[in-house]
Amino acid sequence: MLCKHDGKEDSMKDGFTRRDFLKTAGMATAMAALGSLPSPVLGSEMRLVKYPEKTELILLTSRPPQLETPLHYFKEAITPNEALFVRWHISGIPTSVDLNTWRLKIGGNVDRMLELTLDEIKKFEKVAYTAVLQCSGNSRRFFDPRVPGGQWGDGAMGNVTWTGARLKDILSKAGIKPGSVQVSFDGLDGPPFPSVPDLVKSLPVDKAIEDDILVAYEMNGTPLLMLNGFPTRMVVPGWYATYWVKSLHEINVLTRPFEGFWVKTAYRIPDTPCGCVPPGTAPGKTIPISRMTTRSLIIDPANRSSTPLNKPVEIMGIAFSGGYSIKDVIVSVDGGKTWGEARLGRDMGRYAWIQWFFPWRPLKPGTYTLMAKATNSIGESQPFEGLWNPGGYLWNKVEKTEVVVK
Amino acid sequence: MKKIAILFSIIGVIAICLAYGRAEVSTETIKTITLPPERVDLKQGKGLEKVLINCQVCHSADYITMQPIFSKAQWTAEVNKMIRVYGARISEENAKIISDYLSENYGRGQ
Repeated sequence: MLCKHDGKEDSMKDGFTRRDFLKTAGMATAMAALGSLPSPVLGSEMRLVKYPEKTELILLTSRPPQLETPLHYFKEAITPNEALFVRWHISGIPTSVDLNTWRLKIGGNVDRMLELTLDEIKKFEKVAYTAVLQCSGNSRRFFDPRVPGGQWGDGAMGNVTWTGARLKDILSKAGIKPGSVQVSFDGLDGPPFPSVPDLVKSLPVDKAIEDDILVAYEMNGTPLLMLNGFPTRMVVPGWYATYWVKSLHEINVLTRPFEGFWVKTAYRIPDTPCGCVPPGTAPGKTIPISRMTTRSLIIDPANRSSTPLNKPVEIMGIAFSGGYSIKDVIVSVDGGKTWGEARLGRDMGRYAWIQWFFPWRPLKPGTYTLMAKATNSIGESQPFEGLWNPGGYLWNKVEKTEVVVK
Repeated sequence: MKKIAILFSIIGVIAICLAYGRAEVSTETIKTITLPPERVDLKQGKGLEKVLINCQVCHSADYITMQPIFSKAQWTAEVNKMIRVYGARISEENAKIISDYLSENYGRGQ
């Protein structure tokens, strides 16, 4: 809001002036007065809001924005751009980008530094595939005991077709010099004060040069939306969204591990086989979060909905895992006593989610508990109880959907 | 006259509402959006003004209202995290006032 970005990053990094501070403080005071008025919307669990280029999404926070996708959008195989969730970390998010001045800078331990225009990025071989983008903290509100952080339901994810250049191709044009160990990625978003850590992420060099990692400039065939990272963003398929740096503008090849806050301190999971610890306890050693766990979700019928007696229903849902295709999805309509195999929909590749379908005809009235459990091609599946860690990450429990038949 | 004035105000409000939430792309190479105004829903209480000044410099108030009901120790830990981990510049005195406000209004009070 305070930061209009024009491609000259200095204007933003140093741009939080005393006047801006007073403006913010004044605004807060003015709005506090408004806040004291009773509002019919307050207290309701979900508040829908409309942000630029977006449809109505569930508001978690407004500055920086965190907006969640209502689950009914997941009935579609591809998540529409306007419905894809939004998650920024620090308040200086880019609201204006001038492609005349915007450049993607590649520097650090390289043979030649590059400053690429968007048109130049588009000249690299064009690669497109569908991949699930999922926030590390998706479903955090289901943790028990509850943990601080963005209180997402299941809507901090989406299945999107990404188009861009291979990061590997861009890095090889710059020339990675010997002795490189990591590559860091910085977006146009900046902190409100220099003391607040800027969002910079890093990947090991070996990961960064994998074939499927993209510098994407299109989502579902159109330019990236501003709130989803215009003009380019990282696509690290199979890994959580924290590495998919938005509004990417600087890549640095490093000769020593990156020690920035968002890698060294934040987005870390317990270094245990499940990434979990006993609920409410502190982990010993932690490691950076990386690959997504296997998940499935029942989308239709919705939780706490009702369906008529004797009427055939097709239970529909989605399943995905961190880069391995889904081998099978089993479904139960009796709370896990008996299970049957779901029919899988069209396979859009190992990074995409797959739709699944299960026919059901309820013959007795009552409340039914529907469950689904996915397994991927290397045998990874889902636990029946939620695994706990203090960050509220990796959630992938077998969910229960209650449906009333009458 | 009064009715016309009211009508025009309504049209004005509708126009403003339509303007928000829409992307403005002035040319093909410059893309600009305007974020909608943010709302503050914080409860009235002792220390609210310190919360408004110190917390909202970095983030909107819904970062507070979104959280689960925490104990006082948990809210104090959150405020300390903002200072030590996220670099917020909040004096020790104000940090205590803020923690008290949060646990009183958005926590279990103890």
